[in-house]
Formats: sequence, C-alpha cells, structure tokens
Amino acid sequence: MALSHGTSTGIGGMDILGIETSCDETAASVVRRHADGSGEILSDVVLSQLDLHAAFGGVVPELAARSHVTTLDRLVIQALDESGVALDQIDAVAVTSGPGLIGGLMVGLMTGKAIAMAANKPFIGINHLEGHALTARLTHAVPFPYLLLLVSGGHTQIVLVKGVNEYERWGTTIDDALGEAFDKTAKLLGLGYPGGPAVEQAALEGEPRRFRLPVPMRRDPRLDFSFSGLKTAVRQLAEAQAPLSQQTISDLCLAFETSVTSSLDDRISMAMQRFSERFGTGSGPALVVAGGVAANRAIRATLESRAAKAGFRFIAPPLNLCTDNAAMIAWAGAERLAAGLAADALTLAPRSRWPLDQTAAAVIGHGKRGAKA
Amino acid sequence: MLAAASPDIGRGHAEHLPSIVQSVLVEAQIELQQVDRIGVTIGPGSFAGIRVGVAFARGLALALDVPAIGVGALEAIAVPAARQAGNAVMAVLDARRERVWAIVVAADGAVVRAGAELTPQAAAALALETGCAIIGSGASQLAAVDLSLQSHILDRPVAPRIEDVARLAARLDPDRNPAEPRYLREADAKPQTGFAVPHQAVV
Repeated sequence: MALSHGTSTGIGGMDILGIETSCDETAASVVRRHADGSGEILSDVVLSQLDLHAAFGGVVPELAARSHVTTLDRLVIQALDESGVALDQIDAVAVTSGPGLIGGLMVGLMTGKAIAMAANKPFIGINHLEGHALTARLTHAVPFPYLLLLVSGGHTQIVLVKGVNEYERWGTTIDDALGEAFDKTAKLLGLGYPGGPAVEQAALEGEPRRFRLPVPMRRDPRLDFSFSGLKTAVRQLAEAQAPLSQQTISDLCLAFETSVTSSLDDRISMAMQRFSERFGTGSGPALVVAGGVAANRAIRATLESRAAKAGFRFIAPPLNLCTDNAAMIAWAGAERLAAGLAADALTLAPRSRWPLDQTAAAVIGHGKRGAKA
Repeated sequence: MLAAASPDIGRGHAEHLPSIVQSVLVEAQIELQQVDRIGVTIGPGSFAGIRVGVAFARGLALALDVPAIGVGALEAIAVPAARQAGNAVMAVLDARRERVWAIVVAADGAVVRAGAELTPQAAAALALETGCAIIGSGASQLAAVDLSLQSHILDRPVAPRIEDVARLAARLDPDRNPAEPRYLREADAKPQTGFAVPHQAVV
C-alpha cells in the first residue's frame, strides 16, 4: 500500500490518479498539475498485453479484459508508490470511460469508482481521445487553439483543439484506422504483429519505383481518411506477385508506407490551411501528433517538413506518451478540474463509442465495425 | 447479517453497484472505512458481470487496505444448501451453449467434486452417482436428461444469495481465496491462419 507521505502540491496545485484500460495496455499514473498550469508526471506505469494478442494478429477483447482485471490494482499501487503521493493526498481519480473495448473500460471504471468511493475522492470519467488531445499541453505547454493529428490502432482523426472540452473533429477515417491498416498489411504479407514497426522495417529495404499504390482521398475537400481500399490494392498486388520474395515484400511495404504518408500529408496540409484561414499564423500555431503510428519515421519526417512549410510548430510528445498511457488520462482530469468542469457521479456508464466532438455527424460509410469514434 | 441488497437490475452492473453498496452500508449503519474485508463472487457466470464485481472489490480493497476475498458462485449456492439439507448437494448453473457449471459438496460443505463446465448429461450422471440434492438454474437441464432427478431439486436460483457470499468470505483464508475471476470457460479466440499471401521458400 502507498502510505508514504509525499510532498504537498501547495496552494492551487493538484495530484490526479489516472487509470487507462480501453484497449491492450493496462496503465496507472499520478500526474501533478501545478498552480501555474504546468504539469509533471510523478509516475507512469504501463503493462502492455502485446504478447497476449500477438498470436491472434490483433487484440482479442475477452483476453484483454481478463488481463486488465487481474493486473490493474497492482499497477495502481505501483503508480502511487512510485509517485510518492499517498492515496489520501490524491485530489481526484480520473478513469478512461470510453471510447474503447467495453470489457476493459468496465474494469478500469469499476476500479476507479471503488477507489474514489473508498477514499472519498472526486471521480472523473475521461474520453480517451481527450487524453491524447491534451497531452501536448502536459509535455510542451502548447496554448489553445492547436491542430491535432491522432493516428493509432483505433483512431485516425484531425481535431481542432480549441480548449478543454472544446473540440471540433475535422476529419476521421471512414473505414480502417491507420494503425489497423498497418496491422492488416503486415498480416497479409506474413510479417509480425504489431504491423507498424514490421512494415516500417521492411520498407527500409524497398525499391521506391517498383510499385505504385493510389493515394486515398487525395484533394478530397472533406478532411477524412480511408485505408480499406488501399489494403485491398496491396492484397491484389501481393497475390499477383505470389509467392513473395523478401524483396517484393519490402517493395510492397514501401509502396504502402508511401501511399499512406502522402495521404496524411495531403489531408494535414489542407487542415493547416483551414486552420490558418480561421486563426492566422501570427501566433506560430502548433501541429500536434499523437497515437502509436506517430512513431513511424517516414510519416513523422513528412509531417514535420509540411508543418514547417505551413508556418506551424511540429510537436510530437515522446513515444510513451503518444501510445496509450494513464498519464494523459490523469492530465485530462487535471485540466478538466482546473477548467471548472464537474466531476462525475459513480453511476457513470462506459461508452464503447464516444466522439470527442459531440456535434460531429457520423461519417458516411462509417461501418459498425469501423473506427470507434 | 446487518444488511443485504440484491436488486434484479438486468444489465447495468457497472452503473448500479456503487450505489447498492452505499445503500447497504447506510442500512447497516457502518462506514465503508470500518469494513474489515470485502467478499465478491468470482464466477462462474457472465464474464463481464464477474469482472465488474471483482474490479470493484479489488479497488475497494486497495483503497481501504483490507483483503478482497473471492467466493465461488457455485460454492456459495451449494455450501449453505448442503448444510441446511444435511445432505450432499450439487449446485448447477445454466452455462448456455448446452453446458452447465456444476460442483458437488458434502453435507458439511466440503467440496467433493470441484466446479467444472460439463454437459447436462455428465452432470446428471454425476448427480445420480453421488445421490446428491440439486440446486441452481441448471437443475431443469439435468431433469431433462433424467426425469428421476426432478425430485432431487431443491430450488433454481441463478446466483448465490449475497448474505451467503458475505458469510463464506468472513471465514475464508484471504491468501488462498484471492478475488481472481473463475470463468470455467476459455475466451473465444483462435489464432488466425491462412491469411497471408504465400512466400517464396527461403533458400
């Protein structure tokens, strides 16, 4: 048990316990928000279930939930211990309550509710996407408004972050998320899981001119994404070349990576243009990337140079804060409390789907099995 | 027993459980912080339902620094029934997919056959072999296999009485009865094969 007595936050500061279980990472963290609005991660514990799901080529919801429930309480204790903040000194418990896999969300939610109830702390249900959206303020103190590109296994979105709880979704995927597209491409080429690093590694040996793949959504005035047609194109090319040599696999990976990078480049430059028309570029606006796909070097380099050309600062939080973690959930809780938003009742229900922008209409072609928000 | 509540809420355990616990504490006139241990059913039953209870119990235990005790749903039905009947009892729950979850305990509550997932036929054979009484939502499935078992049925509860769970938890050894889910059924997941385009043989 965390019964050590840590340093006090002082007047106006707050220490938040964060819990994240929406997909295949079990995570707990304690984050301090100082009175001046700056943030400090006191502990950040993440248990990845990668090995558990690798054989299945994707996350198995029931296995994920089973793992969360047997590991989360120990991770919370570890996060409290490492933070040096005793539970009775914590100011609130912030828990991911959606969007994500319902079985995992339930585990995090119930654990958080129980801790909040037993320790008499405010309980805050956090939208996982808000966690990603606000991370750059924890790591880089980015002022509002800014543009966010979220590219992960579950989401591919362009979001205007106007303020805490004020988001406009400018674009989302109409089918697969980008990380999902990487996973599926890797799977059909017989590479490992997760697909992102495997495809990126193979692409390094690729011959640039051998295959050309279409660039999804290029110049489409909507800022949406689509990757399922591209995935089919890769499959057709691959089947025509079967049996595949290592070189052909590398060439296909490079063609895929080039296509998605061009699509992101096209979409994000239009988004930055729209942002500049609305807010100007005088203040040196920021393009923030989040999500595990932000680890891809080709994508990152392309976005970075595109941002520079458009007069934007390019901000990529460290990778461990781009992928799923609980520090971003704790931080979002701190930002919400500091903004005067109310805590939640213990009757809060988990939401497998929960768009960050409540006004965003469902995207046409947005299937039930597609992206989560 | 100071207080108990088991409203039949259908779905929505995650939304209702905290307030149910609050109301029981109010009725018992004790503070949560005075509770010495938490008992929770660990299954078998609805996978998601088990996890709602277990996650909540473990969260309470963590914050209160008290043990969370896992109580098997089958034990919590069978043990009080056996003691009351003075006879061996099989607790049997409908597990769907033409299966039941069953346990057999002796008259003193000692486990004779550990909880397992069985076909109704196998459970019925076990009931006949041990000559036990039968209790639980799966009882009708056993009687459908062998009509003579009909007269052995005590009752058909779908879950244990919560006061029985608390009573058992009060006596169990925390180290040997952790609040770990007992699903008695594997997750439905098969490794994917045959998806990848064929590769050239590596020479």
